[in-house]
Amino acid sequence: MTRNGRVWLSVFFWAFVVYLFVPLLLMILMGFKDSKFIGFPIRSWTLDWYLGVFDNGEVIATFGYSLWIAVASTLISILMGTWLALLLSGRRFVGRFAVYALTLLPALVPGIISAIAFRIYARQIGIEPGMGAIIWAHAVHNVPFVALVVMARLSTLPKSLGEAARDLGADPLVTFMRVTLPYLKPAIIGASIFCLLLSFDDFVRSFFLGSYEPTLPVLIFAKLRSGMSPEINAISTVALILTAVLGVWAERSSRRMNREN
Amino acid sequence: MTSEPIVRLEGISKAYGKAQALHPMDLTIAPGEFVTFLGPSGCGKSTTLRILGGFETSDTGRIILDGQDVTAQPPEKRKVNMVFQDYALFPHMTVAQNISFGLELKGLGKAEIKQRLDEVMSFLELAPFATRYASQLSGGQRQRVALARALAPDPALLLLDEPLGALDAKLRGQVQMELKAIQRRTDKTFLFVTHDQDEALTMSDRIVVMNGGRIEQDGTPEDLYFHPQTRFVAEFIGATNLIDGTVRGLDGAAQEVVLDWRGIELRGQAPAGAPQTGQEVSASLRLEKIALGAERPATRNAVMGRIVDKTFLGSRVAVNIVVPEAGDALLRAYADSDVTARLGDAPVWLGWDSHALSVLRH
Repeated sequence: MTRNGRVWLSVFFWAFVVYLFVPLLLMILMGFKDSKFIGFPIRSWTLDWYLGVFDNGEVIATFGYSLWIAVASTLISILMGTWLALLLSGRRFVGRFAVYALTLLPALVPGIISAIAFRIYARQIGIEPGMGAIIWAHAVHNVPFVALVVMARLSTLPKSLGEAARDLGADPLVTFMRVTLPYLKPAIIGASIFCLLLSFDDFVRSFFLGSYEPTLPVLIFAKLRSGMSPEINAISTVALILTAVLGVWAERSSRRMNREN
Repeated sequence: MTSEPIVRLEGISKAYGKAQALHPMDLTIAPGEFVTFLGPSGCGKSTTLRILGGFETSDTGRIILDGQDVTAQPPEKRKVNMVFQDYALFPHMTVAQNISFGLELKGLGKAEIKQRLDEVMSFLELAPFATRYASQLSGGQRQRVALARALAPDPALLLLDEPLGALDAKLRGQVQMELKAIQRRTDKTFLFVTHDQDEALTMSDRIVVMNGGRIEQDGTPEDLYFHPQTRFVAEFIGATNLIDGTVRGLDGAAQEVVLDWRGIELRGQAPAGAPQTGQEVSASLRLEKIALGAERPATRNAVMGRIVDKTFLGSRVAVNIVVPEAGDALLRAYADSDVTARLGDAPVWLGWDSHALSVLRH
């Protein structure tokens, strides 16, 4: 690459970084503003908004609610997604392509459409709006990601590994538990983190399928409607930091696991 | 040790769709034998091994292992262990965990597992690597771990599927010796699969040469080398002269076949199922079995020739000889370098005994 090209590339890169991080930085900064209104200039600073987040029973409860939905929906998607990946990677069967297409479909349907469809369907079959309905919608939405990640890992599993386990006296179930599953572990952990973040972050499905108890994004949205205040910045910043920490930790640990294997 | 065979294959076969990978085949293996299946890829050797391991089912026949019919048994029930071509070590387990895997599944107690593990690891000099993962081992070490893991549960039969293929040439020679020594010391029955004739000749008590899903010949390395029964065996193992001729008759007293080789009478050794008079046959004559000299030799076969080409090989010289009496047919032979120097360009006598000329089966 020419020298000029390199310069331009780095200009674009830094422009991108600025574009990505300045809004986040502004959001974090505004949380420290000692005033009821968001906007420059910041004349005096305070920690009250941040301290308020940990003092606010409603916010803490919403956090817990969102987390609980994320964990439950992730567990369901991991079970379903892994099972589908094993099914699709295994022996060929009639209708395999149809199952494959159906597995991936939830990832392709626009969020708003699937949310409305879920809402209508839930009413038809008598599922009450609330936690159960949200978990259900999140789980369905996340299955394709789990299935894709696990299938990618399965495709690198040497056939001889399972045969060696059988050869040494393991029946198919023991082979799966002691050889296949540990081999899939990095993929399953990576997919879990991804599902947790997707669910925690989801607004549309949670909004349409929720009852009066809001998830965190829904709460933030509700607060926005009653007026912008630095409290929202503080809540968002705490959520941002928690998810970022989780993401970085997951990245590092999956890289470590890949090195071991 | 009993005189009962450890393995008896009765008419096993395998077809994939229309392709017959393995034609019905019978084979017995005695306890403590080192048997090698040798052949090019697609000859059916690996299929046979995988049928024995239980990874493929035979379309026909029975497999008797240690006196027991195991034809319908899955791999985990068979007292057979395999060393895989890619070693198939479990990546998430240490060396010790890999070796213990089969012992745990045999239902041994903790103390017994520990004892057997230590035994196998010290036997194969793996103790220093006990806590390492496969990714932290060299190729040769991985191969030893795979061997240790397969030997640990004390199988009646050990299957080895081209386990040296991934090693470099230098290490391979060393591991061949080790493997043979391990087989002698453990007194286990080894069934080895390879496409490498040198490997087969070096290690085996017995070689089963396979081609196109059939057994071509089954015998000791010496037997196969000096007395090939088929053209495929003669050509696949070592270098040879193939002599095409017509059968003039059988010399019953000497148990020799009398051949007409382009007008020259030759005497050779008959294969199983002697050929008919007048039949066109081929015969194999190893290069080192031809003696060169200035005088007519006393051997059963003697022809005159002229050296046309010499290649210096260090310990000996490879010579190309034209035989004018046989229509300028070309024979190749080995000779000491001083012999070829002495002979110079003068006509040379070639001599060989009748048992050096193996008439091949058709």
